[in-house]
Order: sequence, then structure tokens, then C-alpha cells
Amino acid sequence: METQAAPREYRWRMPGNWWTRNRHYFNYMLREFSSVPMALWMLWLLVEIQRAGGAASQYQPHGSPAFIAFSVIVLLFSLYHSVTFLSLAGTILHFKVFDRPVPSRLIVLAMFGMWLVASVVVAFVLVWFAR
Amino acid sequence: MDFESYDVLVVGGGLAGIRAAIAAVEANPRARVGMVSKVYPMRSHTVSAEGGAAAVMASNDSYETHAFDTIKGSDYLADQDVVEAFVREAPVEVIQMEHWGCPWSRNPDGTIAVRPFGGMTTWRTCFAADKTGFHMLHAVFQTSLKYEQIIRHDEAFVTKLLIEDSRCVGVVALDIRTGRFDAITAKSVILATGGLGRVYAFTTNGNICTGDGMALAYRAGVGLKDMEMVQFHPTGLPFTGILITEAVRGEGGYLFNNQGERFLKRYVPNKMELGPRDIISRAMITEFEAGRGFEGPHGKYMHLDVRHLGEDVIDRKLPFMRELGREFMGIDIVHDPIPVRPVQHYMMGGVDSDISGATPVLGLYAAGECANVGLNGGNRLGSNSLSECLVFGAAAGRAAAYYASSAKPVTANPVDAMLWDEARRVETEYLEKKTGTERIAVIREEMQKEMDTGAGVFRDRDGLSRLARNLGGLRDRFERIKIDDSSRTFNTEVLAALELDFMLEVSTAIAFSALAREESRGAHARRDFPERDDAKFLKHTLAFRTNALAPRLEYRDVKITNFQPQARSY
Amino acid sequence: MADKTLSIKATRFDPQHDEKPRLQSYEVPFYDESMVVLDALNYIKSHVDGSLSYRWSCRMGICGSCGMMVNGVPKLTCSAFLRDYWPRPVVVEPLNNFPIIRDLVIDMDDFMHKLKAIKPWIIRKQDIPLGAGEHRQTNEQIDDFRQFSQCINCMLCYAACPVYGLNGEFLGPAATALGRRYNLDSRDEGLKIRLPVIAEAEGIWECSFVGECSVVCPKGVDPAKAIQQTKLDTTLRFVLPYGSRE
Repeated sequence: METQAAPREYRWRMPGNWWTRNRHYFNYMLREFSSVPMALWMLWLLVEIQRAGGAASQYQPHGSPAFIAFSVIVLLFSLYHSVTFLSLAGTILHFKVFDRPVPSRLIVLAMFGMWLVASVVVAFVLVWFAR
Repeated sequence: MDFESYDVLVVGGGLAGIRAAIAAVEANPRARVGMVSKVYPMRSHTVSAEGGAAAVMASNDSYETHAFDTIKGSDYLADQDVVEAFVREAPVEVIQMEHWGCPWSRNPDGTIAVRPFGGMTTWRTCFAADKTGFHMLHAVFQTSLKYEQIIRHDEAFVTKLLIEDSRCVGVVALDIRTGRFDAITAKSVILATGGLGRVYAFTTNGNICTGDGMALAYRAGVGLKDMEMVQFHPTGLPFTGILITEAVRGEGGYLFNNQGERFLKRYVPNKMELGPRDIISRAMITEFEAGRGFEGPHGKYMHLDVRHLGEDVIDRKLPFMRELGREFMGIDIVHDPIPVRPVQHYMMGGVDSDISGATPVLGLYAAGECANVGLNGGNRLGSNSLSECLVFGAAAGRAAAYYASSAKPVTANPVDAMLWDEARRVETEYLEKKTGTERIAVIREEMQKEMDTGAGVFRDRDGLSRLARNLGGLRDRFERIKIDDSSRTFNTEVLAALELDFMLEVSTAIAFSALAREESRGAHARRDFPERDDAKFLKHTLAFRTNALAPRLEYRDVKITNFQPQARSY
Repeated sequence: MADKTLSIKATRFDPQHDEKPRLQSYEVPFYDESMVVLDALNYIKSHVDGSLSYRWSCRMGICGSCGMMVNGVPKLTCSAFLRDYWPRPVVVEPLNNFPIIRDLVIDMDDFMHKLKAIKPWIIRKQDIPLGAGEHRQTNEQIDDFRQFSQCINCMLCYAACPVYGLNGEFLGPAATALGRRYNLDSRDEGLKIRLPVIAEAEGIWECSFVGECSVVCPKGVDPAKAIQQTKLDTTLRFVLPYGSRE
């Protein structure tokens, strides 16, 4: 009656496939996973830069369809990662202008705006130096 | 076997209980203070309170007006010395809550704002949007976490008070998780277990409001005072009974019958929707009986209309109401009227206690809704209850700590025996019982229906007699309940049985107290005695438990100081 | 009126008899469009099987007792309407990521520890006396922390968080949001005192912004926002210690 040990509890164990059970979890894993192909592509880019550094005039970027396909996939991943990241900026950043909180939509818009501007500037620089 | 010994043990973890625990520790920082609650404290029903807490804060207000409003609101059954002490302490408690983090809504200058409320002649209800109880409970609970001296026993159900030598020395508590019985001894015990709404079928109250503390005190020989005074709140949602706060009317909402008429002009022409709850509930039932209510699948109802307030005001002052309307009724109160009907809400009656929370049993105190300290009399004004929990929770905490500092220690032997007896009682009657024919829920639902019918807004002798008889029958059937759950671990069926046992006790006290009060006063409205009778009944009813069905009833004069009883009209 | 029924499968687990939890099926009459999953559980307990154990109280979404997994999603069963599931069966399980005590009842001791760990009370260098009245505070100042003060401690967010599921040491969404509620309260001066618990490795930094906590929160607290904002503010404090951040 009185002296009773605490009853045994059932310990929770995360199922290995937890991230397949819910669309949000899956999208999250996709977002996080995207850093892997992006990292691989970066390494490949370093290799290409090294190759181009050796003989600038004869440099031919690896033109095989496999590389182009991989680049497109990585582009999609990086766009997905960037869009999700920038969309969340409105949640993360919080500040007041004239004592009133800046609405999160405005912050997100500004982020995308800056991304666009930065992309244009980088593209311009690359094209200019390529000439 | 577990032996803890406290100076002060609080039973119940709601606003009054936690406030009492903190007050005890602040009165005596070396006191050992325990808090037993059958649920985690943030689940206490305080959390659902919405409207606000009344206090004299504004410069155009006075203690005398707050006292008069409360006494008139009580239909002169309140003890006036208690009321006068209460109105002086309430503002102090409001400030204390603010210091503890309660997010009171503010005036533009940063001071605590007040809003109008039923039966109050001036604006004095402090509020935290329309979730005042939620914010107050969380503020006081979270603040209590910083006091290391307060030791909590969460999810422990008190089945019996330990009385030894005419003094309360603690409780027997069932640890819900393990099924183990503990004697928790203490030099003083404060009951703060809340109301008993679940004895009715249609109530705003949550599942846990089963009158536990009242039944515990009743069984320990303490009188239950004014049990016939049950408050019906005018505006509950049909089917669920979910509360639509009086603040909706405070902010300017209108009540319409099916003729599109603001019918209250025929009942409380001066206050209209801000009349006291008992009169408005009676008005609505009278209108229903005259065929002027809307008909719905879940009974008759009236329309509570706030469309004219506009979305801005609703989102700022009544956001939770908008959420409730959307979630549970599929309506948007900005565009739709709210269907409402009278619903059991609060218990003015309760454990006989005095201005410091003391009951007639030495070492036993009570505060909050489970107590009847004499503040609310025959009818409570809205927003007085949250203030009451603070004022009398604090008073009881201090009184208990003071008493405990010079009380004799509790001796082990008699407690041992009492613990054994109680544990065996519960085990034989519930856990180990193999025979039984009645389902707990069937008896409970019948009791609830009987209470709704016999002890509702309007009562009469036949209805109450029938109710009393039927409750006796239900008590007999209760002896034959069957329990499906024989587990020791988190057995909620045994809990339900223990709660039903308590509910049958308190509902019987209500029925007999109501039968004996042959007048109409406050919330107690007798069709066969429609007038107030000060000559015979300017007294408190005290119900004492007997071994028969009917309690022994005594009467005690109401304490009058400055306000002579007058006719009550608004 | 047609006699509609709905099929409920509920987790059963009694440590005295069972090695592990199992699902048990029940049929429940679906007689009113306003019925919620909690009503179905209450019907089972009242009329079919009194041994089914679960927590509930207010039935209006404010006490936080009745959180359970409903078809794999953490929900308050008092606000999960049967009409949204019928005619498909409804599977009711205890909240994920917590140890199970019995049937649908989980052990929330860990959460209660974390609640206390973030010191959820007003901390001031010097308390003002009661006689001085209230701290002056405007409704706009309350708006700064209002959202984070709406938490009912229902723990749906902990059930939704895979990080908490994998690492029970993680401080978690509700505790962090409540810590932020106090840090942003103009009356509070306790940020530095709370910082060690919040900014430690198992505090906010375990969070990788899955965001599911905010999706399931029934009161719109947005704990994910609270955590990310805390990360930003904590980092800026570290980088610019002399700046008066909050």
C-alpha cells in the first residue's frame, strides 16, 4: 500500500523515419540537406578556379551534361534555401522605427530587395571582368 | 509511508491557494509551506476567469461606494465588516499583482486602467485584456516558483482531513501517479479548492470543480454556509457552457430577445446590461418562459450583440471572446450576435470562515470560492471574486502562519492510524471492489440533471423536495458503483468516484439549505416565496453534516454595520 | 437523425501489466456537430471503458491540460472537432517526446524544471515598495511581450519539436518564449540573470528553426520567433556588449 516504487514509465524513442511523417519536417530536412550538394558544388568550383588559374586563355569549364545538370539541381537547392531563409527574416529581425515595430512583411520585402540588388551587382561585376 | 510536516499546508493551487502560500512564507520566511493540488497549478480553474478584478483605484471612487455596491449586490446577506475590510485591501493586492508581473491593461498615462462591470456604480474593474484570470494565475504561480520554502505536491488528491483532538493536523492525500497514500501533516491547513459547478449539468466550470474542499470540511464537522446561494451567469454559450465574460456587456454589449428588444429595460431600467447577475439571469429565464427567447438545438438563448462596438474595440478589449466565438461557435462576434443563456458559474456558499479565513475547527482555514467568508452574501458582483481570492488568500496565509508559529507540533501515532484507516477505506470501497452495478458517469449525469432542474435559477418546494429525495437515491446507488480501472497508476476512475462522493455531499447541502430558505434573496429565487423576508431570513444558513440524508441547519445573523437593508432595485 | 458513429483508437499503457503501449479501438456515437475529440474520450470513459486515463479540465482551450496527438498532430483535444475527421478513424496518442506514465498521460516533470529554470518572475535590482503604486507601463510596452505571454503550458510545441525529441536537454520552445516574455517586460531587469540558462549550448542554440512549434501552438505564441529573436539579441549582446540592447 504505502511503500510502492514509482511505476515504470515508457521511455520515448524518436522513430528513425520521423522526418517523413509530416510535410513540414520533410521540407525542413530538405532545406538542411541542401547544404550538402551546395558544399560539393563549391568544392568543384574551387577545382575549376584552380584549373582556370593554370591556363586562363585555354580554360574550358567542364561542359559535360552531367555537370550542367548537377549545377541546375544545386541552383534549385540554393534558391530554395535562400527563399526560405529570407522569408524567415521577418520573424528573426525585430526593431522599432519611431517607437513602432517594423512590420515583418516589410522586413522580408527589404531582404528580397537587397538580394536582388546584390545579385545584379555580382552578376555585373562577373560579366565586366569576364570581358 | 511518507511523512512530511509543514507549518502551513495549502490544499488547492489556484489564485487563492498560491496567494495564501506566498503570504505564509512572507509572514514567516522560516515557515515550511506545502501546497497540494490535484492538478498542476496552472490548470486550476482560475485560469478561465476573464473579466477582471475589482478595486478602488480611480480618483472618483471610494471604499464606501465599493462596499455599498457589494452589500446591495449581495441582497444584504453579506457581512458588512468583512466587506469593509475587503474593499480596503483589494487595491493593495492589485498593486501587488502588478509588481509580480500581471500585465494589467493601462491608461495612456501608464496607470492601471479600470472598466465598468455589473452592479458597480463606477468603473473599478482592473483587467488584463479579457483573460484576467489566466494572466493572474500565471503571474502568481510563476512568482511562487522563486520561494524555495514552498514545496508543491502536484497531482495529489486530498481524500480526508486529519482531525486530532479537535484540531486539524493535516490531510491524507492520494498520489495520483503512484496510487500511494500519504499523510501530509501540518500545524495548519488552508482549503482553497474552488467551486462546485460540476454538480450541475450546464456550468462554466471545468472538470476539476467538484467541491472537494467543501466536502472535506463538511465531513470534518465544519458548517457549510449559504449553500443555497448558487450564481448563474447570464451569458454562457449553449451546449458547452463556455463563459462569455461580463466584460462584453461592460464594454457596451446589448442583450436582445427574439423580438429584437433590449428586454432588460423592463427589469433593470437604470443599469440595463450592467445589472447584477442574479437579476439578469432571472430576466432571461422569464423571457424564455414568455416565449421571447430564440429556439436552438441546445435550448433557448438570447442574443448578446457587440457588432456596434467595432472591430478595433473588440480586438483590443475582447480578443479572447472573438477567439472563443470563432473556435467553438463558428461565429465572428464582429459580424454576428453571440447566442447566450444563463449558466451555473460561481458558488457564493461554502466553508464557514471568518475575516481571517479561520473556520471553527482549530488549525483549519479556507479562502477563495470554496470558502464563504461573508463577502458575497446572496449574489456576487462580477470581478469581486478575483479580488476576493487575493485578499482572503493572503489573509488566510498570514493567519495560518501566525497560528502555526506557536502551535504544538503534530504527533505521529494517531496520524499513522488515521492514514491506514483512510487508505484501507478507499482501497476497499473503490480499488478492490469486484462487484458493483452502477456506472459512475450514469449517477453523475443524473445528479447533474436533477440539480439543473431542481436547484436552478428558479426553485420551489416541490422541486427542491424531489431533488433532495433523488439525491438520497443517488447516494444509495453510489454505494454500488463498479470501477473498471484496477490500476494503481494514474487511476482517474477512482478520482472520478471520489469526486462524485464529494459532489453528492455538497449538492445535498444545497438542496436542503434551499428548501429551508423560504424567501427569495439574491440568487436564491423561490417561485413559492417570491419576496425577500428580512424579518425571518436576514441570516446565514449553516448546514452541518449528519448521518442521515438531511443536514442539521442552523442560522446566524448577518453582521450589519453601516448599511441598513433596503429594497433592491436597479 | 442518422446514428453516426466514429472510430477512435486510443493508446493504452498500464505499467503494471504492459511492456509497451498498444492501441485500443472504440466506437463512439457522433450525435452533434460541435463534438470534439475530448467529448469522444469522455464518452468512452463514462459508458464504455472507465479505465481510459487522460488529463482534461476547462474544455475551452485555456488550461492546457488536454494536449494529445490526434492523427499524429499535437492538438488540444477540447478544440479538435470530430467533424474534421469523420468518417475516418481518429487515432489519439499521448504527446510525443515525453515519457508515458499511463494511457494518454505523459510525464511533464522535465517541462516543470525548465519552467523554473528560466526564472519566470519579475527580477529587479531594487523592488519598488507597494505604497509607491504600480510601475508605469503603457499598453504599447505590453504589446512588446504580449504575444509571448499567451502560453498556456500545453506542451504541444515540445511534442512537435524534433530537436527536443532527439535531445531532452534542449530548453525548448515554451520555456524560451516565457523567458523572452520576462526579458521584454519593461518592469523586468533580469535579463543578465536569465542569460546563462537561455544562452547555454542546450538553450536556444540547439534550435535549428524547424518551426513546427509555432505551427502547432494553439494560442499563437510563435515560440520559434521567440527563439530566433533571442539568438539574434544574445549574439548582438555578445558582439556589442556596451550597447543597450533591451
